[in-house]
Amino acid sequence: MRAALSKYWRIWLRTASMAMQAQLTYRLGSFGFLLGKMMRLMFFFAFMAAVFNHVETVAGYNLVETALFFMTYNLVDMTAQILFRGVYGARRTVSEGDFDFYLVQPCSPLFRMTCSSVDFLDIITIIPVIVMTGMTFARLPPIGWEGYAAYALLMANGVALIFAIHVLVAALAVRTQELESAIWIYRDVMFMGKFPVDVYAPAVRWALTLGIPIAVMTTFPAKALLGRLSFGWIAYAFALTAVALPLSYWFWRDSVARYTSSSS
Amino acid sequence: MRTYWVAYQIALQETLQRRSTLLMDRVGGFAIVVSLYSFWTALIGDKATFLGYTREEMLTYVLALNVLRSFVFTGRGWQLVGEISSGKISSYLVRPLSYHGYALALDLAQKTVHVCASFIEVGLLALLVRGGLFLPSDPATWLLFGAAVLMSSLLFFFLEFMISSLAFWTSESGGPLFCFELFLQFAAGAFFPLDVLPEGLRRALEATPFPYMIYFPVRVFLEKVPTSEALSLLGREAMWLAAVYLCAMAVWRRGVRSYAAEGG
Repeated sequence: MRAALSKYWRIWLRTASMAMQAQLTYRLGSFGFLLGKMMRLMFFFAFMAAVFNHVETVAGYNLVETALFFMTYNLVDMTAQILFRGVYGARRTVSEGDFDFYLVQPCSPLFRMTCSSVDFLDIITIIPVIVMTGMTFARLPPIGWEGYAAYALLMANGVALIFAIHVLVAALAVRTQELESAIWIYRDVMFMGKFPVDVYAPAVRWALTLGIPIAVMTTFPAKALLGRLSFGWIAYAFALTAVALPLSYWFWRDSVARYTSSSS
Repeated sequence: MRTYWVAYQIALQETLQRRSTLLMDRVGGFAIVVSLYSFWTALIGDKATFLGYTREEMLTYVLALNVLRSFVFTGRGWQLVGEISSGKISSYLVRPLSYHGYALALDLAQKTVHVCASFIEVGLLALLVRGGLFLPSDPATWLLFGAAVLMSSLLFFFLEFMISSLAFWTSESGGPLFCFELFLQFAAGAFFPLDVLPEGLRRALEATPFPYMIYFPVRVFLEKVPTSEALSLLGREAMWLAAVYLCAMAVWRRGVRSYAAEGG
């Protein structure tokens, strides 16, 4: 087990280093992408601050609490983007035949497909997000260690849930050699996690909790930190991931078993 | 003209052929609209107005965003970058047609499909929320709105074209284009009305061409701008369009002169 972990860690480091070198080669392009990502973050933050010049609360949350939801969304989303970036090119990997090589390598093809493409720019972008999250924490009323523990665990749970969705998308790419937009739907729907789920109408709120569980990934950790999430919902979040992970893995294995190579 | 009409028809068929991609694009866009609508509804709460917008006007703003995003923000920038970088542009340059005219025909086909889809979504959301829509009673408003939107679309097209033309000199023009598109979304008012911003920042943005793409047309539609002022703003938009068009063409001509295609 330890040897396997060490092997995968080395593979990840190597691919991350290669990705970094490639991005450093294209300095202007990388700078543009980095600036764009920072700008998106800053603009949304400025928007939130500007909105709170006109209102006291939104859906019962003040500025600091709303900022906490927004920063949590960014942390979970960026962590997933750093770790599972490979899925964005899954369809191309399959249609161009690269997946055939993944299958004969002494390494999990799922790992190669999901984790072996690292966007180094996201690693840089997450640094200010962590700093801003720290600043948000400092402005919250005193919270016990249990709150922070629940926050960290639910964030990890959220990332695991996102992993399950990425595995599903990768499996769809292997199975159909199409559906390249599937991951972009996820990205667009994930936009809804920028705001606390309480701003939505009850039907949408339920859909985001039980259907496409964006709320579990992004809103739950912040709510747990604020002490506004019941034990039942915390248990539901972990149970959902415990079901989603094996299900998505089963679907992946089944898709790979049916794969007959799509290129020449 | 017949050439461009044929190009339009073929592009229309191609767009409709990829139905799953189209559907997924629209689902993702719809999620963003639902998200923004919910956030604004939460902001308005029990108040009669927020930032001078009634609930009805705010719903109309969000729904108009969906239609305008489909009509204004569908350029050919990324395709141009790809075609210059891959050398595919050579095959267009030797044909007896204007590349801009050809790209506009393809863009129009994309707009046709997406605008039709956006109208269905708008109808669906208006029905779901039963909030009532603001529809201008003065026919002049419709004319002014139509003119503003038409120019917005061309303004975006040529702005994006100008930035994408950087690909003639560098293979890294994707970065600046990404950055431009993200900045544009905020500066044009595609996420929130610019009224939410502090006075100084809003005035600074109003001195750029960006608010003419979304913010200004929607305000005209909502009859927030007196006719005389709307005419004056239309004049300014026309000047921006002329300036951007001339710059885009100048950059294009210089780019084509410096372009060298190798290989076959």
